[in-house]
Amino acid sequence: MDYIDPHLHMVSRTTDDYETLARMGCVAISEPAFWAGFDRGSVESFRDYFRQLTEFEPKRAAQYGITHYTWLCINAKEAENITLSREVIAMIPEFLGAKNVLGIGEIGLNKNTRNEATIFLEHLDLAVQYNQQILIHTPHLEDKYQGTRMILDMLIGDSRLDRSRVLVDHVEEHTIEHVLENGFWAGMTLYPVSKCTPQRAADMIERFGPERLMANSAGDWGPSKPTAIPDLIMELKKRGHSKELIRKIVFENPKQFFSQSKPFVHG
Amino acid sequence: MNTKQDILDPIVERTAHQVIADEFLIARAKILELAATLDRIERSSGDVEDSIPMNLLAQGMHILCDEEVDKAKRVQLLMSRQYDPQWQHTMSITRKGV
Ligand SMILES: [Zn+2]
Repeated sequence: MDYIDPHLHMVSRTTDDYETLARMGCVAISEPAFWAGFDRGSVESFRDYFRQLTEFEPKRAAQYGITHYTWLCINAKEAENITLSREVIAMIPEFLGAKNVLGIGEIGLNKNTRNEATIFLEHLDLAVQYNQQILIHTPHLEDKYQGTRMILDMLIGDSRLDRSRVLVDHVEEHTIEHVLENGFWAGMTLYPVSKCTPQRAADMIERFGPERLMANSAGDWGPSKPTAIPDLIMELKKRGHSKELIRKIVFENPKQFFSQSKPFVHG
Repeated sequence: MNTKQDILDPIVERTAHQVIADEFLIARAKILELAATLDRIERSSGDVEDSIPMNLLAQGMHILCDEEVDKAKRVQLLMSRQYDPQWQHTMSITRKGV
């Protein structure tokens, strides 16, 4: 089955992974800008990273018939550094015309601090100013509930935002309802250990229905499985769900959401 | 949810008997892991009985055994930091008219 992985950090993965993804049916991915595992030293370092995301990575993906899209920002972890964050935010517009950029992301919170919230709000201003879609990272483990509620407060408090153009990622059992009932899109992230499994993602689909809901692998440089979406497809098949339902979650929904950005062309 | 019904075929909704048949061995393995973890803690030196993580595990296990629904969500909330609806005020986050 053809599918789209809406959140996958391919800069951290090998070309072999692209080949495996292609064999498994992945036709497009979207790659939000994120933390490299260490704090970058300057705005120039981000400029190089954004060039990698907008120039090099789409070519590497295209070799395997995969269309590569991306989102730009300074991630929540490095947002603790306000000065650097503002320099990066000021530089982002240079790349907003690139033909694979879908919007601003993954912005969000990490430890739910004041600085993180400040930079999150400044990213919202940037997105509004340039009419960009937004992809949001919610914190993990014990910080998730608090951080997700804080993020929703900031989004709901901003009347300029079109909620149907905002995707809130890494939702779990205790946050999904808040995201969906407020009109945002929700992404479930499948992890091999410690966080959401394909089985629990299938449970959430059964409980909340497939509207405005998608799934991703968030594969990166840490323990993660870039082919997690096929695991979810298998779990849904095993439970007897229809092809239409599965296709809606793994293909039609990301397509519908991304189609609100000009560069998205996937038929 | 209305839209849920349109696409979720009612015939695929498994009975409780089917679910337990499909998943008994998986759940059995998980409960065994938990039991062995508790044994491992027990035979190690030192006392963690009153520690925060042990308390959280104990409360989590209580949720598994009680009569209430929504167990996954309740375990999640148990393991979560509190949300303060006044956080923007507490952190002095001010916003221009948006
Ligand atoms: Zn990510």
